[in-house]
Amino acid sequence: MHANSNLVNRTPDQFIAWTRTGPLTVAQFARAADHVATKLPDRRFVLNLYANPVDYLLGFCASTLAGQCTLMPPNRLQKTLDDIRLDYPDSYLLGPGGSGGLDIRDCLADPAVADSGDLGLPPIPDSQLTAIAFTSGSTGLPSPNLKYWNTLREGTLSNVAMMLRNLEGPVNMVSTVPPQHMWGMENSVLLPLFSETAIAHQAPFYPQDVKEALQNIPAPRVLVSTPVHLAAIAGSGLDFEPVKRVLCATAPLSLSLAGAIESLFGGELLEVFGCTESGIIASRFRTREEEWTLADAFRLDVSSGQATISADHLPGEVRLQDMVEKTADQQFRWLGRHQDLVNIAGKRGSLVDLNRRLEQVPGVTDGVMFFPTDEHKRLAAMVVAPDLAPADIREALKRQVDPVFLPRPIVKVDELPRSASGKLTRKALLDLYQKVKPGAGAPS
Amino acid sequence: MSSQTKQESELARLIVDSLNLEDVEAGDIDPEALLFGDGLGLDSIDALEIALAISQKYGVQLKSEDEHMKETFRTLRSLNQFIQTHSSMARA
Repeated sequence: MHANSNLVNRTPDQFIAWTRTGPLTVAQFARAADHVATKLPDRRFVLNLYANPVDYLLGFCASTLAGQCTLMPPNRLQKTLDDIRLDYPDSYLLGPGGSGGLDIRDCLADPAVADSGDLGLPPIPDSQLTAIAFTSGSTGLPSPNLKYWNTLREGTLSNVAMMLRNLEGPVNMVSTVPPQHMWGMENSVLLPLFSETAIAHQAPFYPQDVKEALQNIPAPRVLVSTPVHLAAIAGSGLDFEPVKRVLCATAPLSLSLAGAIESLFGGELLEVFGCTESGIIASRFRTREEEWTLADAFRLDVSSGQATISADHLPGEVRLQDMVEKTADQQFRWLGRHQDLVNIAGKRGSLVDLNRRLEQVPGVTDGVMFFPTDEHKRLAAMVVAPDLAPADIREALKRQVDPVFLPRPIVKVDELPRSASGKLTRKALLDLYQKVKPGAGAPS
Repeated sequence: MSSQTKQESELARLIVDSLNLEDVEAGDIDPEALLFGDGLGLDSIDALEIALAISQKYGVQLKSEDEHMKETFRTLRSLNQFIQTHSSMARA
């Protein structure tokens, strides 16, 4: 007995998206997805590269209806895409410049794609492999996280109940998060399939883009973003349309920034916690709650400092890379990340992996990447490389790692203060950095 | 390399200062070299920082088209042109 369920869990005349030309109904969207599904290349895997969330959503639905699995690359480096396609040769690129060869917007405008009372889409089997999200780990090779349809469905139902709670009726959403990122997928792609959410077509980046995107949708508005973008928005000096709820994830958000955002938009900021492996699992209203509340579907166990998440809809247990303290069955406090994990601009990296790549640059005999202080957003590096300039080292790294992980500055030193056994303590590291960092020798 | 105009020098200084680019001399930035990816090697966090500094100093808000940071931000020269165009429109 196989279970299956609907891809689009909406009523036909509701709005699912805001395009350049106006709102798109669920019925129009469903017909377009069904139509596009028949035009896709016959491959098992698809790399959906659309930055526009509506195009991405249409591509995702069409691919899923065609039984394909959407690959979500961790960054847009050509090398990353090439590496993924080597591992998944039965794949194609969908999106600007992709081999899909179809313009999704033409399909939306097709008169055959008309309103109809009945969505008539085939159901999706629970066991269908729908997406693979890649995360970086200490081995350096991206790890695939397999997302079957039942996991995405149950996770999204949990997200709807948690993230949209107390928001009655239709909401209109703008997201600054790329849909290829798990946080983007859980919001701009999956929420419109399971709730009365209509997603705006813009992929806003600068505060001015966000302002205009919010002006183009009616109330009630929901903004999905990350601390990096919210900080830019708060610092912009612009004013914005009212937003009923701001959803923020991927990195810790300070209380003062949360307060500034709530004042700016007039709504509440719900901070959200999760990881690619488990999806979103907990939330807190940042300005009035200290502890995190776990969503009902998840169970948390903490033993010997290791936090583990389980749920009926997850294929296995997930060991968190965060340190947490359980304060009640479904409540916890966040204590910090495990040492190896770095998260910059919403992208996850492994210090072990980054350091190994640094040491393997030809001409580098020793090196270390680190955050000079807890407030630093970027990694710095100290390197022993007698015959190389810092720019050469950066060039070598640029081809292999996402730009946000490139260290700045790269400081050359004669040797690193390792102990006899080769260990490098943070104190020794920082003491040396204080002496050698740019500006250290400058007269006060 | 093409030499910097006075406005471009001022903008180069702003970029170096707001991003703490310790190993770059503002005067060495080629006005026609790419700012992002190759060339100066800036990334998305830098784009937001620079946008903030530019809004504060010149009163101009950066916007992206469909692809982030493409034409406006391509080079020091193109970025300066954008700022000058929008500053004068604001004054008109």
